[in-house]
Order: sequence, then structure tokens, then C-alpha cells
Amino acid sequence: MDSDPISAVSRAGRLTRRAAIAGLGAGAAGLLLFGPRPRGDVPPGRTVVDYWEKWTGAEGVAMRRLVDEFNAVQDRIHVRYLTIGAIDQKAMIAIAGGSPPDLVGLWNFNLPAYAEAGALMPLDDLAASAGIDPGDYASGIWPMLTHEDRLWGLISTCGSLALYLNLDALSSAGVREHERGPGPQTIEELDRLHERVFAVDAGGRVERVGFIHTDPGWWSWLWGYHFGGRLVTEDGTRATAMSPENEDAYRWVRSYPERYGVDALQQFQSGLGFYGTALHPFLTGQVATTIQGPWLANLIEAYAPGLRYRAVPMPVEASILDPSRPVGLLDGDVLSIPKGAAEPEAAFEFMLWIQDRRRLEALASAHGKSSPLVEATPGFLAGHPNRSIAVHNAVANSERVFHFPRLRVWPRYVAEFDAAVQSLWQLRTTPGVMLGGIERVAQHAIDEAAEIRRRRAAGGAL
Amino acid sequence: MIRGVLRRNAGWVWVSPWIVGLTVFFLIPMAMSLYYSLTDYNMLEAPLRVGLSNYASILRDELFWKAVRNTLVYAGVSIPLTALVSMAIAGLLDVDTRLSGVVRLFVFTPTVVPLVAAAMIWMWLFNSDAGLINAGLGAVGIQGPNWLQQQGWAMAALILMNLWSVGQAVVIYLGALQDIPETLYEAGELDGMGPIRRFVHIALPGIAHAVVFNSIIQTITAWQVFATPFIMTEGGPNRSTYFYSHYLYDNAFLFQRMGYASALGWVQTVLIAACALVPWRFARRLWSTR
Amino acid sequence: MRRRGSGLPLGLGFGVRVLLMVVVGIVFVLPLIWMVSTSIKPEDQAMSAGLSLLPDPPSATLDQGYENYRAVLTDETVDFPLFFRNTMIVVLLGVSGAMVSSVVVAFGLARVPMRGRRVVLLATIGTMLIPFPVIMVPLFILYSKLGWIGTTLPLYAQFFFGNAFSIFLLHQFFRNLPKELDEAAQLDGCSSFQLFWHITLPMSRTVLAVVGLLHFTYMWNDFLAPLVFLVNRDQWTVALGLQLYQSRAGQTPWSLLMAASVITVLPVLVVFVLANRMFSRGVTAGAVKG
Repeated sequence: MDSDPISAVSRAGRLTRRAAIAGLGAGAAGLLLFGPRPRGDVPPGRTVVDYWEKWTGAEGVAMRRLVDEFNAVQDRIHVRYLTIGAIDQKAMIAIAGGSPPDLVGLWNFNLPAYAEAGALMPLDDLAASAGIDPGDYASGIWPMLTHEDRLWGLISTCGSLALYLNLDALSSAGVREHERGPGPQTIEELDRLHERVFAVDAGGRVERVGFIHTDPGWWSWLWGYHFGGRLVTEDGTRATAMSPENEDAYRWVRSYPERYGVDALQQFQSGLGFYGTALHPFLTGQVATTIQGPWLANLIEAYAPGLRYRAVPMPVEASILDPSRPVGLLDGDVLSIPKGAAEPEAAFEFMLWIQDRRRLEALASAHGKSSPLVEATPGFLAGHPNRSIAVHNAVANSERVFHFPRLRVWPRYVAEFDAAVQSLWQLRTTPGVMLGGIERVAQHAIDEAAEIRRRRAAGGAL
Repeated sequence: MIRGVLRRNAGWVWVSPWIVGLTVFFLIPMAMSLYYSLTDYNMLEAPLRVGLSNYASILRDELFWKAVRNTLVYAGVSIPLTALVSMAIAGLLDVDTRLSGVVRLFVFTPTVVPLVAAAMIWMWLFNSDAGLINAGLGAVGIQGPNWLQQQGWAMAALILMNLWSVGQAVVIYLGALQDIPETLYEAGELDGMGPIRRFVHIALPGIAHAVVFNSIIQTITAWQVFATPFIMTEGGPNRSTYFYSHYLYDNAFLFQRMGYASALGWVQTVLIAACALVPWRFARRLWSTR
Repeated sequence: MRRRGSGLPLGLGFGVRVLLMVVVGIVFVLPLIWMVSTSIKPEDQAMSAGLSLLPDPPSATLDQGYENYRAVLTDETVDFPLFFRNTMIVVLLGVSGAMVSSVVVAFGLARVPMRGRRVVLLATIGTMLIPFPVIMVPLFILYSKLGWIGTTLPLYAQFFFGNAFSIFLLHQFFRNLPKELDEAAQLDGCSSFQLFWHITLPMSRTVLAVVGLLHFTYMWNDFLAPLVFLVNRDQWTVALGLQLYQSRAGQTPWSLLMAASVITVLPVLVVFVLANRMFSRGVTAGAVKG
């Protein structure tokens, strides 16, 4: 048998039958010891509500604390909190598979797709009979919860975006006038601030910028809104990427690599530390101002506790400036009940319990987010980790707050945007061409989805 | 009589678990996938039959063509390059010394490194500022590019990184080379053949089957490349490393277009089969003229 | 007799050859060395371009290394010890399932009379050519109908019904065993099962080990299947965990990312180095020697 290539191989690593059986036995024993087992001890006689949420870490702990409190203060319902990765995709799959959770924490931009596919329970009646009043919430909240005039969820946390100023970095660059007062209010003022802060080292490499569109680069699509543009019509039937306002916005974006060179900026970016570390460029002062949500305060607290900072509304194009009506993106997390949930009433009871002012504020405070309610209590403002939280509340309450476009095909729209803006940042395209291309793709997706929907409604007829 | 039939087919009893597995985990999903490819399906609503329109849309889909083009560029550069490099390394290592044994181990090691970890390692190596590669280039006075953020360079980086895992191909070439009796080379030498002619006339025919095998395997893997670009470049910059499987994944799980994704899957199968046939046919021609 | 070599590459002298081998060896392990080196540096030193392998001062190596690995293992978002345990369980189950079922199926296919064996064999090879994305969507739906989504079953259950590659490898091995074995066994009045249990199985320990090892690396490294099928974060595998660690909004310092990569790579690497000869020969045997 020695001529056989395989059996001639290692004599040391031989596998005997006995070893194999022992191995299998060990495997089975291991499975019994460590393997999947029914989780959580549910007190008998309680209705179990399975609650899927995306939060981990400190954010998850804050929600878990509320869940525990809820389970302790009453004896009919037991909420089981589970952390799920890629929750929007996985919840959809679970609903499709017929075994959804009773409660799911989605992102607000998921609602159109879920709602149109009939994956969620409309909550209008439940909310009305429970006395939920939209007027109690900040003006930007309700539009995030509704789609096509129906209510699909209740808010858990929210945060609007604002411009953060690293006052230490600004002052070391000689910019001191923004320590109080309105801060930069227009794009021109932001550009001027940036130019005064901008610095290169002896070797000609960019060392510090006042502002840069790619930090953090999470919202490539939103600049147009600060120039008065929109990406989609109110009724969601037409993509409006290609507008003079949006073109102005992306001309502004393009002006940065035009001025400093694609390579120089890329060199600068790749030397920057990551978000969530002490080397994050806003914390180090390499990027003196950045667009962020209120949660940035938790980062500052953790990695640069002494840093002097403040937030102001994100500047807008001069012609639309109105300091009493700041412009900003409001993002939010939504609690919804999937269609087919086993215990919708019990799930709703928990949702309702969370809507209490004290609990919403406790959650917001722990997450470093703004209050979803129309008025925040003095205690909330005073105890909040973010000293500029009032600015975020003001944006959330502004009539010019905006949201992720309420579109079922938004993931395709935004994928197109992200790719195109990368190309713009490398000066490989112009704002007009870029926006035209995006609009064409988005419109095609919108039309396609509408057509399919029409045919579904007509019973699948071609 | 019946017992005879049973005895002659006793193998089926042994094979039965696999028949179940084959049916449940391959044949049924394939049939489902074929059906979904003829529907609009978002998982939440029942599939809506749309005939061949998914396939028609694919042909008009700019992103599809972009993904195909990217994948073809990747495969077209990567496969010959891998073949050359792995053949050269195999040739280099085709001696029985302690050193060659150690080097063989080193060359094979990267193939067992999890792709996700490999992606992390190479993202770090390719880092334009502090990465080892640009630091090395800088040491000899070359200003390295911003590998993963620059169009063109990102694709080059992925191809370069792929060379790190040529170990499997090297092992296969080595196996084939070692089956060539040394006396053949000696005879060639006696006949006055130089190293080049020895390579062309003795070594190459000896490893031809391995070349075909490797090319087919690599064609299949190149078409399915997913994890490394997904993690390292997210398909960017500007979709210059957006590959076929990534596009399929996005359609299925990001855009909830399961029907369209299924159609993409079948188109992929056809494309892979077509591409894998090329080396096969080429080899057949080679053998039939020999 | 020691092989002198095949004449590849093109008649290089001994010295040049040794030099090239050393270079190749270094090039292939350098990324791994660099990974380890970064993992024991403080982040600011990792980020500052430099070619030193140890942190500055070198005496800080142990402290900094401990610090980094402790940070990774106690991260509150990404629970590596848990993911590690999950992966171990899944891989253990998958590998044992695949080995037991595949050896039975392959034996039946190779040594027990049955009609239609060619069809089964072709179908088996065929499944290896079907790209995973084609069946991933239907498999998902299938698993969710079976109620398996939310468990780890989708990662290993199918292997209890056999695994195409393992069956193929084992089939090649069994087929090449001498015919006389069967005849002798039949003369002794042995049934197929007795032949399998008392004679064939003991002879195939090594090939079984190879199959198990290959399947082990395959499962340990898999990224796409866990990405698609695992819902509950408490059930994630290390490969997914590593990607999460890198891609979460609060991104990860390079030094810690490399430490996490070391943790992911280490188990496969250990298994591989312990069994490296089996590994490389296994690949060759399965691939070309058929």
C-alpha cells in the first residue's frame, strides 16, 4: 500500500477508528454541554414577546435595562431582548419565513419597503385608542413613522445632524470667533473657516483641514438639502436629483479636490484614524469641523474628555439661510410589529410603555441622542452627555428638518449616490453628469417598483 | 431474482444519505432558483410571475455589464498571472532539499488563512500611509499609490493579493512536475536540449493536465470572488472593484430583488461554464494535435 | 534517490536558486509576520510608517501585546470568545458529519454494486461547479421554512448528508484500492459492511484525516454562508465577528484589528502546521491523481 500517495503520507497523523469514535463522542458531548439550548428563563404564565434590536454595547445595555425594568414592574408579559446583525435584512427574512419576532427595531428608512410589502402591522388604531398624540413629538418625528398615510411604528431614539466645532483646533489656528454666537451659518462662511484652518506641512502634505466632505462620509447624498434641493418628490414618484440646487451642492463638494488635488486629499484621508478611536481626526483636530449626530459626545467623553467643542446647525447656502428654521437630517430608530407576530398586543404594550417621557429621555441620554419629544425637560438637557444637545433638539423640531427619502427603492438610489460621489471626489465626473446619471437609475428603479406594484394589485396580470 | 436485483443495487443503500442531501440541498434549491428567476420576488409577497423579463432586464442593466467587465478583467489578468507565478514557484521548489520543504510550507500557508483575515491583513499592508508595501516602496524611493482608494490601483491590489494564495496551484504543479521521471530530463540533456527546450518539450506536456485543472478551478473561483472586495473596497472606488457575486448579493439582500438575483445566478452559471470550457477545449486541441 | 530538479526554471545555478527560494519564502510569510508585529504595537506606532517589527521600546512588547489582545477579547460589542466557541461547535459538527456520511457514501459509490453510479458521480461533481450564490437565496427560504433561521443548523446540517468534495476525494481513494480485497473478503463470507468496517475503514485513516482537515479549513474560513444564514448575533462565527469588528461604525484601530486577525488565523494555522504534509498531499491527490 506504500505506493499509494495518500497512505504513504504522514504516519504521525493517523486516525484510528477508536480515535474517530472518541472524537465523535467528544463532539456530541461538547454539543450537549455548549450547544444551542433554549435561552432565557421565562417565568411561567407570562406572554413572551420576542424583541429584535440592532444595538450592541452601551446602546444595547441601555435598552436592556428598560426591558428588565418592564419585566419586573408587571407580571403578564415577558420581553426577550435579542441583538440581531443586519437587522433590516434578517427581519425581512424572518417575516417571509413565517416566524417573525413580535417586535423589531428598524431604521426609519426601512419603513417604506416593509410597509409597501405588507410586512408590518399598521398601528393607527392601536395608537389612537392608546391616546398617542403626534403633537407630543418633535415635528420631525411623525413623518419618520408614517408611510402613505398610515402609522407603521413608534419612535425609540433619534438624532439630528449638526456641525461640530473642535474649538481647541480652531483656536490654535487663530479662529476664535465661533466660540459663541451662531457659528458658521452659510456654506461660504464654512469655506472661509476651512481655508483659515487649512495647513500643509513642510513636505507639502495636507496636515489639517477645517472641513472635509468625506468625514465621516456616511451621507454622501445629503448636501443638496443644505442648498434647498430635494432627491424625490413628496409623493415618491419622481426622482429629483438633477436640480440646480443639487448641482450647486455637488459643485461645492467638487471644489475641494479641485483646489487641493485628488491625491493630496486621499493621502490626507488615508492617514486619518478611525471613528470610534482616540485617533479620530475630529478629536485630534486634523479635521476641525465635522457633520455628526449627538452621539459624538460619547466619543469625546471616552477619548478626549477635555476637548472643547460645540455644535451648530449645519450651514446652508446663503440664499436659504433662516436661523430660526435650521436645516438638518433627522435619523431615527423605529419600533414596529411585524405582520404575523404571535403577540402583537403584548408587543404594543411594551412599545407604549417605552413612550413614557422619562424612559424616552433615559434612552436618549444613554445613547447620546436628542429627545424625540417636542419639549425636553430641563433635567434631560442638564444631565445629557452632549452639552450642545439643545441644538439637535432644535433641528429635530425645525420645519426644515429632512429625512431619508421615503422610498422603497432607496437602497438602490443611495448605492448609486455613494458610487457616483466617489467618482466626483476623484474628479472623474461633473456634478451635472453625475446627478443626471443618478436620477436616471433612481427613476428607473422607482418606475419598475411602481409597475410591479400595479400588477400585483391587479392580481398579477401582465 | 428480486434478491439478485437488490444485491446488484446494494450501493444505493450506502449512497442514500447523499441522495437526500443532493436533492434537498442542491436540486430543490436549483429548481426553486430557476422558478424565482422568472418572477418578481421580494420574499415578503408571493412571487409574481414576470416571464423572462428579469433576463431581459439583465441585458439592459448597466451595473450588470460593469460587474461582468470587472470580473472578466480580474479573471483575465489574475488567472494567467497566477499560472505563471505558480509554475515558476513550483519549478523553483521542485527539488528535495530541506529548504524547499520549508519554503513549500510557507507558500502553502496563506491558503489556509481565512479570507476575512487575509482581507484585513492586506488592507493593512496596502494602507497608503503606514502600510508595509508603500513603506517598502518608499525605502527604495518610490512613492506608492493609494492602493485601495484609487481607481485602477484597487483592482491591481486585489489581483496582487490573490497571488498570495497561489499555494494550492503550486502544490498541484509540484505534484505534476514530480511525476515526470528525471531520466527524461537527463535524456533531453544528452540530446543537447537547452533548458528552454527541456521546459517546452518535457516539462510543459507533463504538467498540461494540471494547467487545465488549475485554470478551470481558478475560473470558477474568480467568478465567485466576493469576500475580499466586499470587505476591502466595498466594490469601490466608483464600483471599479464591484464584482459579479457582490452585485448578486446586493440584489438579493440589500435591494430585496430575489427574483432578479436568481436570474443573475443562472446567468453566472452559464458564464462560468462558458469560461471554464475555454481551457478545456484549448487543452483538447493541444492533445489532439500532439 | 534525491531529485535534482526538473530543469525549471531554465537552468538556474544552485546559489541563485537558493536565494530565490529564500526570497519567495519570505514574501509569503511576511504578511503574517507583519500581522503579528502590528498586533503587539500601540496604535500610534502602528500608524507611523516604519519597518520595525517590535514596538518601541522593545521591552514593552509583552505588556503592549497583552494589552491589545485583552482589549480584543474583552470588547463589549464583538464577543470573540463566544464567536470562537460558536465556530468550534459548528466546525466540529460539520466536520464529523461530513466525514461519517461521506465515507459511507463514497464507499458505496466505489465498492458496492449499484446501477447508475455514473449519474450520481456526475451529479456530485456537478454540485461542485454550481456557484453558491445561485442556490443561496432558495436555501435561505428553505431554511426559513424549516425553522432553521435563528439557529446554526444551516451551517452544518447539510454535511450530515455528505459533502461533495469529501465524497469525491474518498471515492478516488476507494476506487484505487486493489480488487483482491473484495474477493478475499467475499471468500471469507464477509458482507459489504464487514469489508467496510474491518478492512477498508482502517486502511483509510489517513485519507479520512485529509478529508477532515480540508473540510475543517473550509468551514473555519467560510464567510458568505454565515453572513447569509446567521441571524442572531450570539451565534456568529469568528469570520463574521472579525468583519463586524472592522466595519462597525466605531471603527477599529489597526493594531487591535491585527490582534483579532491573529486570533482568527491561529486555529487553522496550528492545525495546518501540525498536519502540513497531509494537507498538501491531500490537495494533490484529490485534484490530479484521480
